[in-house]
Amino acid sequence: MIDLPVIQTHRLCKSYGSVQAVRDLSLSVRANCITGFLGRNGAGKSTTIKMLLGMIRPTSGEGAVLGNRIDAPQESVELRRRVAYVSEDKRLYNYMTVAQTIHFTSGFYSDWRPETAESLRRKYELPSDRKVKSLSKGMRTKLALLLAVARRPALLILDEPSEGLDPVGVEQLLETLVTQSAEGTAVFFSSHQIEEVERIADQVAILEQGRLLKDVSLDDVRRCYRKIDLVFSSQPNERDFQLEGVDSVQTSGCQMRVVCNANAEDVIERARALDASEIEVGPISLREVFLSAVSETSRALV
Amino acid sequence: MLWYKAWLETRSRFLISLLGIVALPCYLVFDQNADAQPQTPVNWYYHALDNGHRLIVVMWLAAAILLMMGGVLREKATGTISFTLALPVSRMRLMLVRILSGFSQALVLMVIPWCAMYLVSIATGRATSLSQALFHLVLLGAGGLVFFSIAVLISSVVEGEYTAPVVTFGLLFADIAGLGQSRYHSFSTWNFMIGNEYFNRSTQLLVGIPWLHVTANVAVAVLITTAAIKAIQRREF
Amino acid sequence: MLFKLTASTGQPLYVQLLQQIRHATECGILKHGDQLPGIRTLAEELIVSPNTVAKAYSELEHEGLLDLRHGSGAFINLNRRARLFTDQVERARRRASELVEQLREDGLRDDEIRRIFEAELLCPGKVVSRR
Repeated sequence: MIDLPVIQTHRLCKSYGSVQAVRDLSLSVRANCITGFLGRNGAGKSTTIKMLLGMIRPTSGEGAVLGNRIDAPQESVELRRRVAYVSEDKRLYNYMTVAQTIHFTSGFYSDWRPETAESLRRKYELPSDRKVKSLSKGMRTKLALLLAVARRPALLILDEPSEGLDPVGVEQLLETLVTQSAEGTAVFFSSHQIEEVERIADQVAILEQGRLLKDVSLDDVRRCYRKIDLVFSSQPNERDFQLEGVDSVQTSGCQMRVVCNANAEDVIERARALDASEIEVGPISLREVFLSAVSETSRALV
Repeated sequence: MLWYKAWLETRSRFLISLLGIVALPCYLVFDQNADAQPQTPVNWYYHALDNGHRLIVVMWLAAAILLMMGGVLREKATGTISFTLALPVSRMRLMLVRILSGFSQALVLMVIPWCAMYLVSIATGRATSLSQALFHLVLLGAGGLVFFSIAVLISSVVEGEYTAPVVTFGLLFADIAGLGQSRYHSFSTWNFMIGNEYFNRSTQLLVGIPWLHVTANVAVAVLITTAAIKAIQRREF
Repeated sequence: MLFKLTASTGQPLYVQLLQQIRHATECGILKHGDQLPGIRTLAEELIVSPNTVAKAYSELEHEGLLDLRHGSGAFINLNRRARLFTDQVERARRRASELVEQLREDGLRDDEIRRIFEAELLCPGKVVSRR
């Protein structure tokens, strides 16, 4: 099996008037992987996802999902046949019951698995004859998830799936995503819950102000990313630490924190040369990677 | 499956409309007995059935406009649009199913009441004329298409739940009040549907189906519907 | 058996997993011929990406510690080399405990010793800590 990227975009842009929601986004999402899509509110995550699904037209650039061009209407229909999507607001038709919603959705897909749908419905405790209107947000999210995974999509795209779920629901969701991945579905999901992404993702893409800041594997983050806390006898100069691999440098008085994505040794070497009185190297959590990357960008743009 | 959705979406509106449209004109025909008694069958026909037709037209317009409320743009406001658009169907098909299902319901809403009215007339032993009934139906169908397509178009460009029917009703009143009495009265779709233009004053009957007008109305409706589909295809959600 | 994977410890999850399996074989929790859960089952249990489990298993297979039989699961294989390794680890543990004892006698607190060890493992030979 050749693992072509399931999502591939090249310099994708979307602007609304003078506002650039997505800028020059070149993203490649691998098959057989769980990819987390991080970014602040308004960073352009939903806009990107909607462009992939043909709901929004790109201003420029191109993209393909499972080899189908996103801006060609007929190919867009074809790609939606093989992509499952759970939208940000998880709204379903209020006038349908749970059973009607499942019946309705099943009619569109030849690979629908009725037994899977039924077992998930029981697991998620969704009452068949309840109207969607009277479901809580958590239940609606579970129903939307059920509709997405009751077939065998090649790619599963979820926009903030854990929002509105209780802790048990979140565990069920993550377990479902793992199961999907084990069955060979590529999973691409956006989230604000960095810890969830950190637990199950293989790869992480960080978007900020419409730009792709990082596209890294979590194994690499754990293996190579380090935060180095330094103490000097006088105020250090940030410029001394603009080395290769350094992501961000933060100073407060005589203290300094350097976050690097590689070459921690060089930073330590430099610190020693500058007579640092204390050097402490530690691993860095994804949350810190995210915050340091985002703060660095907003500083650069001021 | 889209048909299933369209049916679930509109069934209550449709059934209530159907009940209303069947009941009122039938009652009118039945009730006009007193008025028509001393007159000839033709007069009775004119009084009862033609008034009945007028009532059907008014109620049908209201029903058709209410039936076409909702749609893709309305789904944007309620948030279900990202689910609908993620289904593996083209927007063209989404629109066509909605339009065709709405249209077939609208068709039922004009044929059944007329049949009912006709049967009530027969049952009460009144004069009836099949050709007159068909004539009325053709006028209602062709003229109705225009308003139906306007309702489709407006629900495809404005988002608010009640904006679309309000604007369509506004256009209808503009047609009746603005065009109806002016020198351009022959351009009024309302006049066309009511049959005012084709009414023979001496026999008080409608004569000869105006095929040219019918064709023109259908063409306008097709044009407006195409515009609505294009608008939805170009739209971003 | 029970595994404990921590998301932010400076070690890829698959490395943590394979170390814990290796450790379990070294201290006898897992014995020759024991069966491990399948990739999918273990991934669902731990709620981690299936790739994490797959990678750990395939490295362990490469080391010769695990037999992956298609369709029937993963089995611990403690051949002679692995058993030798077990002895080696036992020796290393004794040495480490001696060293720690020595450092304590030198007046270092446990958290300082831990930090020195961690820093040494994260960035070998480069870290100095002066006061």
